[in-house]
This record gives sequence, structure tokens and C-alpha cells, in this order.
Amino acid sequence: MNNPVGMGEQDRSERDKFENELKRILKASDDSAILLRVIGSLAFQIHCPEYGYLQAAMGRAYTDIDFAAYSKQTKQIQALMTSLGYTENREVFIASEGDRSIYDNPGSGLHVDVFYEKLDFCHVIRWDGRLEVDSPTIPLTELLLEKMQIVKINEKDVIDSLMLLLEHPLGEKDKETINVKRAAMLCANDWGLWRTTTMNLGKVKQLAHGYSQLSPEQKKKVESQVDEILARLDKETKPLAWRLRDRVGDRVKWYKEVDEVY
Amino acid sequence: MTKLVRDLMHRGLLTCKPDTRLGQVAVLLNQNHVHALIVADRDGRALGILSDYDLLAGEWLSSDSESLATMRKLTASDLMSQPVDSVEASVPLSEAVDQLIEKEVSRLLVTENGKPVGVISLSDFVAGIAQQEKPRRETVGDVMSDAILVCREKTPILSAARTMTEAGWRSVLVVDAKGKALGVVSGQDLLPFVKNGVDEKLTVSDVMHPALTIDIHDSLRRAADMLIKHHHHRLVVTDQNEPDAFPLGIISSFDIVGAMARPGSIWQA
Repeated sequence: MNNPVGMGEQDRSERDKFENELKRILKASDDSAILLRVIGSLAFQIHCPEYGYLQAAMGRAYTDIDFAAYSKQTKQIQALMTSLGYTENREVFIASEGDRSIYDNPGSGLHVDVFYEKLDFCHVIRWDGRLEVDSPTIPLTELLLEKMQIVKINEKDVIDSLMLLLEHPLGEKDKETINVKRAAMLCANDWGLWRTTTMNLGKVKQLAHGYSQLSPEQKKKVESQVDEILARLDKETKPLAWRLRDRVGDRVKWYKEVDEVY
Repeated sequence: MTKLVRDLMHRGLLTCKPDTRLGQVAVLLNQNHVHALIVADRDGRALGILSDYDLLAGEWLSSDSESLATMRKLTASDLMSQPVDSVEASVPLSEAVDQLIEKEVSRLLVTENGKPVGVISLSDFVAGIAQQEKPRRETVGDVMSDAILVCREKTPILSAARTMTEAGWRSVLVVDAKGKALGVVSGQDLLPFVKNGVDEKLTVSDVMHPALTIDIHDSLRRAADMLIKHHHHRLVVTDQNEPDAFPLGIISSFDIVGAMARPGSIWQA
């Protein structure tokens, strides 16, 4: 692991600043019938009421507010953010060909990232009608994959993943459950995503043992959750394209280079 | 009588060594007009099977120069499927069909007493199905080729020539956006370019000749009559009720001769 971005002490008032601003944006988007779903560190915090304390305890800091959205609402989102006092960095929107917007709030110093249709870093995770499944965050499976698709995974990503794995059961549905069936399906359709996800699950399992903030039972729980996910990914029937790509393996690079994801 | 694998299999094996580069495998497949070969060790033991589909990985994954360099170094053993699914020549065909379906593969290695002697593939089964067709020789529709090679009017000549060669066809039908036959390009139309070379800008519409059409219900005798009188080698088969619709097929002198040569035809009595 490298890069300490998103790591460091953050006092309660600073964390409140992010959480309150998130609530303000979500309320405004709800009032305007705009579909925004939280991703990133705040999404993990929202979805992990029992284990959310680990972020602060392990030194995981909020750095920004991230959303998933559909591109058909791009203009409404731009208007909404302007009305909330944000200024858009148009260069990012143009350079990403409409896939991403970054908004800065000069007053609060906060910035907001919006990812349209997909998260496209080391691998692509598409929203594909999944933003309606959960609220106010993306579904738990996509939250996990958001972290697992990062080839050079950071400590902050590991901490968020640990929280999620401790908090939620695995299953084949989405409600308060990590839908492993969907993760298996996505990984069976993309060898690269499978390769990185399985690699990072192994890292999370291994690194969990190094955290003094976790009890032996919690470490064991993480281990069994990871093993169960790996077994389910392994069991999924793989199409010919996956099997063919598997034969080539690591000899050809299987991911896109990204300097820093968040 | 129950048909056996040996009745439909393709005898003989095309093999390559495990360290054969993908480019060399492509040449072997292309030269031998086959879709797969067996990767065998020094003693002739089948180690795996490598198909044209597997070779697609070469183009698929060569997204940059680094990947291309890696893929060019890959060998047959890197990409082959293994183990090789096999079937004994003496078992009923239905067993081979079951295996193809169950294992989702396109071919099986055929063995006799465990020793590889050939391959049975989906193509062999398709050929087997074609042989089941009862010989009829009354109308154009009985002997025409339903599946035909077509292209649009803007297709470059070079592309048409390559496709004709790869598909083993002697002509290509040119159609407009709605499928109406505009003309035919045959080997004869391309002959002048053998001497003078082809201008890459030329398209099939520059060289095609008008399509001579015949109704699907017309007799074979009328087809033969038209071919001889107009000195054409093929006719475009249409439905007279829908003359502008996509053609139903093509009937060539070769199709008529083929019908004459079929077992059971009056010419073979």
C-alpha cells in the first residue's frame, strides 16, 4: 500500500462539516428529484452504523464528497450545485467527456465529485440501473467493488472495506447485504476486474490481522467473509472470453493506470 | 443403422509443437483451411487444442506496443485449451453431440484405442445435416444456394476479393441499403486487375456486372437456358412478387452440376 491521502487525524467538528454538507446536498437533490447516490468514505460511514467508528479510530479522514449519478441529469446536477454555492471545474467535465464533474465550494473549502454512469478507474464499474437499488448510497456490492477495483489499494480503502465486511452479511440480494451473486457476475464478465478484486480481497484479509483496533473475533470474521466471497467468485461460470483471457494471465496488463483514485 | 463418429470424422491431424508462436499457428490454420490444430509433444501426444478463436486473443489484447510485444512472444502452449476433449471413433455420433453440447466446445479429438486419429467438429455435423437433404431437381429453389455472399456497393474491391478468397466463393452479390440486388462481382470482373493492379479507391460498384434474375419457382431447365443464352455463370434468385426485396439466393452452373452429381439424381442412375 502507498500514499497516505485520506489518512490522518480528523476531529469531530471537521467530520461533522463533511457529514452535514452531505445531508444538505442530499436534501436539495431529493427536493429537486435528482438521483444522487453517495460513494466513497461517507457512503461507508452511512452504511456502517456499528463499525463506522473504525474510520476515526484507524485515522481514516474524509477528503471530499463523492456521488454517483446518471448522465441524463447532468444539467440538473450542475444547476443544483450552483444553487448550493459550488463552482464547477469545467476542465474536468470536458476532459472526462462528461463522465465526471468536480465542484468546489469556496466558502467551506469542500469539494464534490460526481461520477456519471460509471466509475472508471483501474476497472469500470457501471451504475446500469443500480442507483435505484439503495439509498442514499450505491448498493453495498458496488461499494465493495469501488474499493476492490483499485490496483494500488491504499490503507483508507482497506479500512472502508473492513468496515463493510464486518457490518454486513453476504447474500444474493441487496438490502443491507453484500450481493455476492452480482459481484460474481461482474467479475465473470471482466477478467481484469476479477484479477484485481481477488488480489485485493486477499490483501484485506491479510492486513486485517495487523490492526490492533480489531478484536480476534473481528479479524476472524473478515477472514471468513473474504473466503466466502472468493469461493463464490470462483464458483461462478466463466464465459469463453474470460477463460481465454485467463490463459494469458498477468503477462498482459489487465488494468488502467491511475495515479490516485480519491 | 446407427451412425458412428468414424462415419463423420475428419481423418488426420494438423499439429504443432508447444513452442510454436501464435503467428506461425495462424499461418498453419490458414494454409490448411482448418479452424483448429492439436498441440502435440515430441512423441505426438496431444497436449491441447488451439483454435482460430483462441488466436483472436492476439488482436484483442494487443492494445499497445507493450502488449503486442508480449502477445507476439506467446506460444501455442500458452493459449491452448487443455485437456483435449476426445471421443472414440467407434461410439455413436449422438455421444459426440452430447459432449459438444455439454462441454460447450466446437470440436473433439477422435481416438481409436486411445490413439489420436482425427477430429470431429461442428463443421462435420453441419456437413452431415446437409447430406440429409433429399435430392430434388424440379425448380430453381431446389438447388440454389440460400446462403450467399453479399456486400454493399461501396465495398472496396480489395475487401471483396479477400472475402471471396477466404469464403471460397467465386462471386459476391452487391446490394443496396434495402437489400435490392444491384449487380454481381465475379472472378471474371476482377481479372483485368491481375495485370494492372487495383486502385484502392475502386469499389465493387465500379466493376460489377448487372444481376440476371430468375424466379425461385422457375424450372431448372429455364435456369440452364438463361445461363447458356446469356453466357452467365450465376443467376440471382428472387421472388417475382417482391422483385426489389433481398434476393432469396443464387443459382450457379456449379449448383446445377452439383445437383446432377448427387447420389440419387437421375444423372447417377
